[in-house]
Amino acid sequence: MATTPRFQFTQGTTSYKTYKLLGYALLVLVLLIVALAYNDTGSITLFDNDYKISVPRVTKAISFMIAILGLQVVAGFTGQLSLGQGFFFGTGAYISAWLVGDHNWPWFATLLVIVPACFLIGLLFGLPALRIRGLYLALVTLGLAAVFPSLILLDVLEPYTAGAAGKQAKSALVPPSWLPLDGIIDGLHSLPLVGDFFGDGEGMSSKEEQRVWTFFLMVVLALVCFKMVSNLIKSRPGRAIRAIRDNETSAAVNGISLSYYKTMSFGVASALGGVGGMVYVAELGIASSGDFTQLLSILFIVGMVVGGVGTLSGAVIGGLVIAFVPDWASSTQNFPGVPERWLQGPTGGLILGILLIVLTFVLPGGIIAGVRQIKAKFVRVLPARPELLATAGVGASTMSPLTDEAVVDAIDDPTTSSES
Amino acid sequence: MELFLNRISDGLSNGATYALIAMALVMIFKATTLINFAQGEFAMFGGFIVLVLATERGLPMWIAVVVGMLISAVLAAGIERTLIRPFDPADHLPLVIITLGLFLAINAIAGIVWRFDPRAFPELFPSGNALQWKTATLSWYTVGTVLTVLVVAGALTLLLNKTKVGLAFRAVSSNLESSELVGIKVGPTLQFGWAIAAAVGTLAVCVFVGTPIRQLEPNVMVTGLIFAVSAAALGGLDSLGGAIIGGLAIGLVQSIVVPYAGIPSELSLLAAVVVLMLVLVFKPSGLFGTPAVERV
Amino acid sequence: MSDSSAPAAPSGAPVTSGSSSGELVLDVKGLKGGYGQIQVLHGLDFHVADGEIVVILGANGAGKTTTLRAVSGMIGRSGSVKLRGKEISSAKAPDLVHQGVAHVPQGRGTLPELSVEDNLRVGAYIRNDKEIDADIERWFDVYPVLRERKNQRAGSLSGGEQQMLAVSRALMSRPTLLLLDEPSLGLAPIIVADLFDRFAEINKETGMTMLVVEQNAQLALGIADRGYVIESGAIFTEGPADELINDDAIRKAYLGV
Repeated sequence: MATTPRFQFTQGTTSYKTYKLLGYALLVLVLLIVALAYNDTGSITLFDNDYKISVPRVTKAISFMIAILGLQVVAGFTGQLSLGQGFFFGTGAYISAWLVGDHNWPWFATLLVIVPACFLIGLLFGLPALRIRGLYLALVTLGLAAVFPSLILLDVLEPYTAGAAGKQAKSALVPPSWLPLDGIIDGLHSLPLVGDFFGDGEGMSSKEEQRVWTFFLMVVLALVCFKMVSNLIKSRPGRAIRAIRDNETSAAVNGISLSYYKTMSFGVASALGGVGGMVYVAELGIASSGDFTQLLSILFIVGMVVGGVGTLSGAVIGGLVIAFVPDWASSTQNFPGVPERWLQGPTGGLILGILLIVLTFVLPGGIIAGVRQIKAKFVRVLPARPELLATAGVGASTMSPLTDEAVVDAIDDPTTSSES
Repeated sequence: MELFLNRISDGLSNGATYALIAMALVMIFKATTLINFAQGEFAMFGGFIVLVLATERGLPMWIAVVVGMLISAVLAAGIERTLIRPFDPADHLPLVIITLGLFLAINAIAGIVWRFDPRAFPELFPSGNALQWKTATLSWYTVGTVLTVLVVAGALTLLLNKTKVGLAFRAVSSNLESSELVGIKVGPTLQFGWAIAAAVGTLAVCVFVGTPIRQLEPNVMVTGLIFAVSAAALGGLDSLGGAIIGGLAIGLVQSIVVPYAGIPSELSLLAAVVVLMLVLVFKPSGLFGTPAVERV
Repeated sequence: MSDSSAPAAPSGAPVTSGSSSGELVLDVKGLKGGYGQIQVLHGLDFHVADGEIVVILGANGAGKTTTLRAVSGMIGRSGSVKLRGKEISSAKAPDLVHQGVAHVPQGRGTLPELSVEDNLRVGAYIRNDKEIDADIERWFDVYPVLRERKNQRAGSLSGGEQQMLAVSRALMSRPTLLLLDEPSLGLAPIIVADLFDRFAEINKETGMTMLVVEQNAQLALGIADRGYVIESGAIFTEGPADELINDDAIRKAYLGV
């Protein structure tokens, strides 16, 4: 490709820093809009169907994003196909529901229990995974995910799990009193043009305030998780696990301890799954076993693949897709050309299944790959030091480095660049 | 004592279903080392086709079963041609994703077309008992299911060992490159395997729900697949005979070991998964499979 | 990677074919091929006349096996490949069997789980006539050890036995051209000597045209009519077998003399 993109930035320069700052600012703006414009914004109206992208739904999406992030660690980056992420999601959900519902723990304090517990269980999962590879591992983890509801429903656990009724944890997150949410929302309401999106000028009800506050807290939690994984991937252990993904034998003969890194990656992934579960229950208020079947684990895989395997932004996209598509599909009552009777069925599953198949043909790298291709037409980021180009590892010595798209793409690779 | 015998009878009939699905899985695995995650859904869909043929079109039951098997074979052949063949058989990841997508899509289609209310399925075998000793009974159903497994196993063995296409299938399972070098077209041969697997799966579902205690609904095979996979792994993923032994074993474990060991019945699935895990960790080639040699 | 360090081929002696009809069973011009981005063959010209045994020699990595795979349609290639005058360069491997090409791959390519007899039977896959069983018996006569083991799993046979099986399997399709890829690889010398004697016999008795790729130059040239030497994907030299055997350069490089 000979055309230069419209914008070209070199890492380390001021213009690049400004570009990144603008990106972050945009992200913050979007978050604010999603959180505060709770009345009418973000509702999709298609063919007479109104679907609100409400704050609780976005918070649910965030819980899925964190779970998929975990899946990216174990499957996307280490190459171990785990169909059991739902197990940990459910475990985290139930642990936090029990601690908050029965013992009045603050929500975020439950992480102190969930993270180590899920990490350890994940390590245990990881042990047989050392001997079982590929498809077999997928089968075993699928089996474990399938078993989760039965485990929860065991009579012996009933005092903790409330059995089939589901464990309620009504404790909501209340925004601190010093935060003038009412004032902010009324201020936004008085903005010309866009003001009507932000409430009706009478402040927020306490329920709305809780939702918004929950949303913000979970966003922060998610950002922390993503940042931690991002650092992990760029660090030495991160390179180790990616080496394992690419070729286990080479990794092993290069001195990378397979058993250590493989079990660790399971531990990390499971911990993240548990965190996601906590977010899910914090929003929903109840943990019920029917939510955590093997179907959920399959949905997480769908999210990872649709978003883009082995990428961080793929986890974000994937979470959004699996949170909204089934939801939207089941609330759609009218669609031209489709008999109404059909719409009452599980169209969400159908859409996701077809999406998965189509993407495998068209965009195996997931949606994020498509986004990156489009973005590459407009923006290119060059590394700060030209010497890096020579060692980018593409190995085509006859191609001129500066114009070779493949070389630049290797640098822009999501697992190495700082803009994930 | 009688209870024990009854339990054996139940275990055998359950096991027979698992054995049939396991055989379907083994057919595909033998040829491609791929595990078709959608196998259970293919089977379930075939079961619904049979139901429609029998109840709405009024075909006699066994004719409906045979026609249903043929239809599902054709559909599976179509799926192989369009969705599976474009990919390199050695690269598993895209194929796994596709089978997961098929799992979701087929399950959803069944749910859309036929809803989720359980439906009674016509019985395939005479009701009542073949044998009775005090309170222990051996139902015709159990006899029928086990016979079905044996007949299918016999038919598949004949197909694989005595026919040309069976020879081609075994050749492709053994060494793809050499098969091409003797003139075998790999694609159509694999397609044949998918078709057979789908037909066997359809029969499995018909047998499974063809009894008053069970009904057909779209999620009927979602957990059944796990049992079948455990059975296949236990028997050795490339051994048809192993699939039968594995299936019957898992069925018997489910109905005998679980109650006697005091494990609640909901956990029989867990027992199957534990079996799967133990087999894969300690003897990955199963009881009767051929050990794989890993080349670096 | 275009590495053009292959030495220029010296002008070869005119090819004197010891064959019967002189018709070219295989005529290859400008054959190029490789694996993905890596081009291994850089334009080869060679031919095999009816009833000849032609040998392709070369060191490891020179491109011998790749040449055979290119002829056989197992890898992407360009150039002209004619089988009895018919262009087959765009055909895929399974089709070539119908055209009369049989390829015994490197490492023998046995179907290990199948029985010895089934291996032979699958060799006749493209045939529909009634003589398949008779042919199987014939091969059992040529290689009695196969008859002994006819119901055994082919994977349990020794290397030499598997090579016999592989050759018989290939000939079950009654080809007009037999391609043999490094038949001596991994076999004990005494077995290999016997093997090559049989090849010569088959050629003498049936007139089977053979193209053999080999590292064991001595043995190969011992049964061949003509030979080519490949180096770095190009033909280094060619000529009648007895000339090549006596060529000093060849002796130094490949015969260690």
